[in-house]
Amino acid sequence: MVTIGVGLTGSLMALELAKTGLKVVGIERGAPRFTVPDFQSPAIHDELRFSIRKAMMQDNVKEPVTFRNASDQTALPVRRWESFLPGTGLGGAFVHWNGQSFRFQVADFIYKTHIEQRYGKKILDPDLTIQDWGVTYDELEPHFDRFEYLCGVSGKAGNIKGAIQPGGNPFEAPRAREYPTPPMKEPYFGALFRKGAESLGYHPYPQPSANLSRPYTNPEGLSLQQCVFCGFCERYACEHFAKASPQTVILPTLLKKPNFELRTNCQVLRINLDSTGKKATGVTYTDAAGTEFEQPADLVLITAFPLNNVRMLLLSGIGKPYDPKSGEGAVGRNYCYQTTGGATVFMDESINVNPFMASGANGTMIDDFGGDNFDHGPLGFIGGQYVGAIMTNGRPIEFHPTPAGTPKWGRGWKEAVARHYNHTVLVQQHGTSTASRLNYLDLDPTYKDAWGQPLLRMTFDFPENDIRMSQYIADKVVEIGRAMGGKSVIRGGTKRPYTTTVYQSTHNAGGAIMGEDPTTSVVNRYLQCWDVPNVFSVGASAFPQNGSYNYSVTIGALTYWALDAIKNKYLRAPGPLVHT
Amino acid sequence: MTAGRTVALVTAGIASTGAAWMAHAVAAAPTRQPDVGRGEIIAAQGVPPHVPACTGCHASSSGGSNGGGAFPRIAGQSLEYLDQQLRDFATGVRVNGVMTPIAKGLSAEEIADVTAYYASVAIPFLPLASGDPNLVKRGEQLAKIGDAAKDLQSCDDCHGPDGAGEPPAIPYLAGQYAHYIASQLKQWQLGARKNSPDSMEYIAKRLGDPDIEAVAAYFQQVRSAAQPTQSKE
Repeated sequence: MVTIGVGLTGSLMALELAKTGLKVVGIERGAPRFTVPDFQSPAIHDELRFSIRKAMMQDNVKEPVTFRNASDQTALPVRRWESFLPGTGLGGAFVHWNGQSFRFQVADFIYKTHIEQRYGKKILDPDLTIQDWGVTYDELEPHFDRFEYLCGVSGKAGNIKGAIQPGGNPFEAPRAREYPTPPMKEPYFGALFRKGAESLGYHPYPQPSANLSRPYTNPEGLSLQQCVFCGFCERYACEHFAKASPQTVILPTLLKKPNFELRTNCQVLRINLDSTGKKATGVTYTDAAGTEFEQPADLVLITAFPLNNVRMLLLSGIGKPYDPKSGEGAVGRNYCYQTTGGATVFMDESINVNPFMASGANGTMIDDFGGDNFDHGPLGFIGGQYVGAIMTNGRPIEFHPTPAGTPKWGRGWKEAVARHYNHTVLVQQHGTSTASRLNYLDLDPTYKDAWGQPLLRMTFDFPENDIRMSQYIADKVVEIGRAMGGKSVIRGGTKRPYTTTVYQSTHNAGGAIMGEDPTTSVVNRYLQCWDVPNVFSVGASAFPQNGSYNYSVTIGALTYWALDAIKNKYLRAPGPLVHT
Repeated sequence: MTAGRTVALVTAGIASTGAAWMAHAVAAAPTRQPDVGRGEIIAAQGVPPHVPACTGCHASSSGGSNGGGAFPRIAGQSLEYLDQQLRDFATGVRVNGVMTPIAKGLSAEEIADVTAYYASVAIPFLPLASGDPNLVKRGEQLAKIGDAAKDLQSCDDCHGPDGAGEPPAIPYLAGQYAHYIASQLKQWQLGARKNSPDSMEYIAKRLGDPDIEAVAAYFQQVRSAAQPTQSKE
């Protein structure tokens, strides 16, 4: 079998299937890289190289995405990543992630059913196309548990088997047991947020983190070390073996398997189908020298980040492309994103925040406005956001908060940066992105990549529902900022139009969604393609819509869930796992 | 994923907070400036009758210390780091038969003065014999790159380029005596030193004895650009 991409999903799939004795080839378009020597200092803390010039990201000279807000516009290539950062290279985006490690909630997986039961169909704007996942939280719970213990996630349980736990998140979905390691230390900005949020009656808790609070050895026998709060998580790799990544928690075991072969710097061009179009025969790829190869395979796993998963299906002619006019076809449908933003809280100069002492996930946060944790009936929208003081860095090029009215450059700007750098708390909003019939992915009719293949075209704007949701919560966040002692607070909240020129989130989701109906989903509940049963499309491309939380742990759980079906059902009797 | 740049996304108007503002300030105590001159006297004379001179073991600008035994070089070390060590010796968080009574014998002001002296003073390096070149080379590899087979990151990740230190919390290693580096790593290995990040125990255990000797030999002969050159005596 073959994995297209060796990131989180690819390496996890390869490891588990290699354990069964299958011959596995992992094909990765980027370079091989390891904690030692590639992630060591001082080179790894090069902010210009990694944050600004995006050294760990997909090469968008060779392979960009084209973008437009609406289908009556002409899409243009995004030649500089800003809004989202697809990774490349061994380990994929799970190398440069922040380690924010949440489970989606019970209602997320039965979203349509849940919303319609609680509020009726009228709460949904006509354009919204939310769906149930076809898998429930209860089915995924053991896989969440397994993935958290693979990563060693540091956190405090809020709900163990239905019993609410003091100190944790009371809105958390029930879990079988505590987190593998205790939560990270709370920084000063978190303590300020906690005090403010508690004074308003909310329920603050420590953000679960895959940058570990203490050394940990996972069930694969691989060890993680303690995070040192260097402030270089997102957009960077961890030099300390402290962040869960394929390099720390998966690859050392996988690479020792004699039946696994890793091929790096190899670009998969397409999945080959037999004459019936119902069976994959392997993949075609080119190596770094440009030589084209065919790798036969009985089983093909698309594990290439959501955007690339969808593109690989489209380039290979698997499934029916979505047509927004007729609403027919499923590939590219329900592309979703994430609603982010938040408030900037300017504190008194006597309060030293020290933002540079940070990990990617040591925030203090509340879920009182997450998902469906509050009554939406009178509000006229669905969805929600978590809110938290989550400051991941104080890096000099990127972090210089200034109040409204500050000049954009020159002496006034410099003085304001010096005044506010160490006395400002960012309070993030981060939440749901609701699927709309207007948002989708397809192949661009004009622009091609370095190999002459059409680029992926993204058509996206935030649905009005999500704007109403985000703006409602933005008001609540201003109140929290004031309760924290903020001398002034800049209000956040998402606005239209969506722009690709400002960083928001790398949680691109949907486009090859899972479900129970082949006309409205690309893969079945086990992530198996309806149309070509020996192809599985794995990752957040399968999410029918996006939840409140950072999605990596839910991707991990879904991957284990699919693996369970492949190992225990598919390999015993290859063929469709779900019949309609 | 969140990023500092998210701040650019928040564009709405400023909200006045008025009386809602509450003071969270840590009450600013009247600060006494450390007296470096007095610190130099403490270093040279001790504080009779219970605290002997520091210079006997740690050297001063006019000499002393032979780099042997388990005594570290502390000239130019981070003020906060030195201060923390003395307080930890005094409370017993860091255990040392020699230093604990000395630290207990010093007042808070005397600690501030003597650490300010050592943090600011430039003391020439002793002419010490260099270690086995292969050992030094191995040490340099560990210091700068780490060791993939042992899951060990480079020392410089935390201790700064060429072990120059990352003040305030992280001490320099460049020019530190090999005896001292090795003895501390062995203490972490045994779980005997507890006043530092947990990672030091983990790292020392993974290093093992031959590599402890290697990093110790390497760092002793490193001269950071920010530090004074070797004594000509």
